[in-house]
Amino acid sequence: MIKIENLVKRYGDLVALDHLNLEIKEGEIFGLLGPNGSGKTTAINCMLALLKYDKGDITIFGKEMKPDSYEIKQNIGVVMQNVAVFEQMTVYENIDYFCGLYVKERARRNELVEEAIAFVGLADYRKMYPKKLSGGLLRRLNIACGIAHKPKLIIMDEPTVAVDPQSRNHILEGIQKLNAQGSTIIYTSHYMEEVEQICTRIAIIDHGKNLAVGTKEELKSRIKTGETVTVEAVVLNEQQQKDIRNLPHVFEMDYEEQILKIRLSGAKHNLVRILTYLQEQEISFGRVFSELPTLNDVFLEITGKQLRD
Amino acid sequence: MLQLMKCRILQIVRDKGDMFWAMLFPIILCTLMYMAFGNFADSELIDTIPVAVVVAEENTQSEYFREFVDGMEDVLEAEYLEEEAAIEKLGQGDIKGIFYTGTEHSLTVTGSDLDTSILQALLDSYNKNEAMIMEIAANHPENMEQALESLSNYESTTQEVTVGGNTFNTEISYFFAVIAMACLYGCFIGVRCPMDMQANLSALGARRSVTPTHRLKLIIADMLGTFVVHFGNIVILLVYMKFILGIKFGDHMGGMLLICLVGSMIGVALGMFVGSIGRISEGIKTGIMLGVSMVCSFLSGLMVYNMKDIVQQNAPIVNRINPAALISDAFYCLNVYDDMGRYYQNLIALVIIGILLIAGSFVMVRRERYDSI
Repeated sequence: MIKIENLVKRYGDLVALDHLNLEIKEGEIFGLLGPNGSGKTTAINCMLALLKYDKGDITIFGKEMKPDSYEIKQNIGVVMQNVAVFEQMTVYENIDYFCGLYVKERARRNELVEEAIAFVGLADYRKMYPKKLSGGLLRRLNIACGIAHKPKLIIMDEPTVAVDPQSRNHILEGIQKLNAQGSTIIYTSHYMEEVEQICTRIAIIDHGKNLAVGTKEELKSRIKTGETVTVEAVVLNEQQQKDIRNLPHVFEMDYEEQILKIRLSGAKHNLVRILTYLQEQEISFGRVFSELPTLNDVFLEITGKQLRD
Repeated sequence: MLQLMKCRILQIVRDKGDMFWAMLFPIILCTLMYMAFGNFADSELIDTIPVAVVVAEENTQSEYFREFVDGMEDVLEAEYLEEEAAIEKLGQGDIKGIFYTGTEHSLTVTGSDLDTSILQALLDSYNKNEAMIMEIAANHPENMEQALESLSNYESTTQEVTVGGNTFNTEISYFFAVIAMACLYGCFIGVRCPMDMQANLSALGARRSVTPTHRLKLIIADMLGTFVVHFGNIVILLVYMKFILGIKFGDHMGGMLLICLVGSMIGVALGMFVGSIGRISEGIKTGIMLGVSMVCSFLSGLMVYNMKDIVQQNAPIVNRINPAALISDAFYCLNVYDDMGRYYQNLIALVIIGILLIAGSFVMVRRERYDSI
């Protein structure tokens, strides 16, 4: 559905996109995951033919995307990172306005606007002006304006920034519903939990480069970390720390402020082995928990830094 | 297109800040001016003043005075009466005053208004000039010819007498300048059009740029919607001036509306042009528009009634490219000079400036991709 090949975008000396390659297939919820400034929004703006780029090709629905590709734009819904609505128009009027830029027929548009309002849960706010809405409701309005015309492709650029958890869940559920209704979705975020929760395939980008692409399972399988065990309120001497480092499948260990964090490659009984050692050494400890690898672990291993650095 | 225009109209009309500058501020300003000028504003473009002349004594002085009165036919509607008949007419309000002429000249009036002020000013001027001529004749007869020549120009006495036969009071020039200023204030609402259109200037611009509606259609709909609102603002201002303040603009309302129509276009076009300029902040753009509109209004006579004449004498080209001066001058042509040729020249100049501004704005807005957003 979308193909980006060797995309290069420079802002002066800064390379924002460095030979970025992506292919997004129909029916996917495709996540673009990366820290702030990694090039996600730049990539989106290039895709939408808003930004000039130095090199590369972008095709959407098999056709080159240009500023006057109105036929392609007809089938794209966009939810911008910054809320883009008219302050002087009500919720209903805003959705109707943006839907009207795609759908000319009045009766059909009324139907679509009503559906969009119901979809984002703004039925009680239809006559309110944007400045009266909370951040979360405003984001929902922004989404409604982007999806009301039922596009085949929806591009969402960090739609949950500064949104309360309740609205965030509402938005994420909505995105999954849209996908279930047949829309392909590109979703950018620096919240790995969101991407992990809803995306069927994910590209991790940093410094404008595509570092890895795949399903979350595929991405996690590419890294050494199979499990991360955390032991709280534990006091260890040098020798004990050394012993733990030498336990089977342990490839990294952090011990700081009485919190022990051990990364282990995927294997059975990792947690049992650690607990057995602590018991044998008669070391007291607090909470213990084991986590499967996250996208943050993937990012950490690929780039050597935390996703939220 | 109509739906897009309707939305733009709604957005502007509901924006209190924009509507204050584009509609309320000119109304407030002209109200303050009206209050400052007091009853002078009641009749700005007045007809000839009915007056009686009573010849108390036939002599050279009265003969010259009658010649003076007859020469002021554009200003005075004089009739020669016996004193009794003149007093009766004055009492009935048929005439505004009685000039008595003989060895000396005097004026009798029953009230105080603009007309009686003009009559008094005319008499004062005549008396002053007569005394001066007599003194020159007595002491410097060789300069008599030059003195008479300079006196033949009565512009510096009390008032301007127009070729159209309307007596012009300077106060109305301020109201013309206010209308011109109000037209230019359309820039404050016009500036939104390109800013809501360009992806590098606003989130709305970016959002609208990725829709399948053609850019030209969007910008034209925005422009027309803005223009409709602003023309409405100017019509409201005119109606307020004419019917609430009672300012008499003459009998050319059609022509005045045409000036307002073109003037509104200029204001909106100015805003669109400034709004299209690069990535400078909205505050700076507002500052530019305020500066341009106020300088143009000042040069057209908003603060000093004869500023336009001063500019005409020193830099006439400024009056030909200053939209406020062109609007103001078109009002003069219509209501004061009765010079339709110059009226249409002004309109054409305004249309050309408007087209240039809109074209410039379109060129800047039509850019398809941006270096950065």
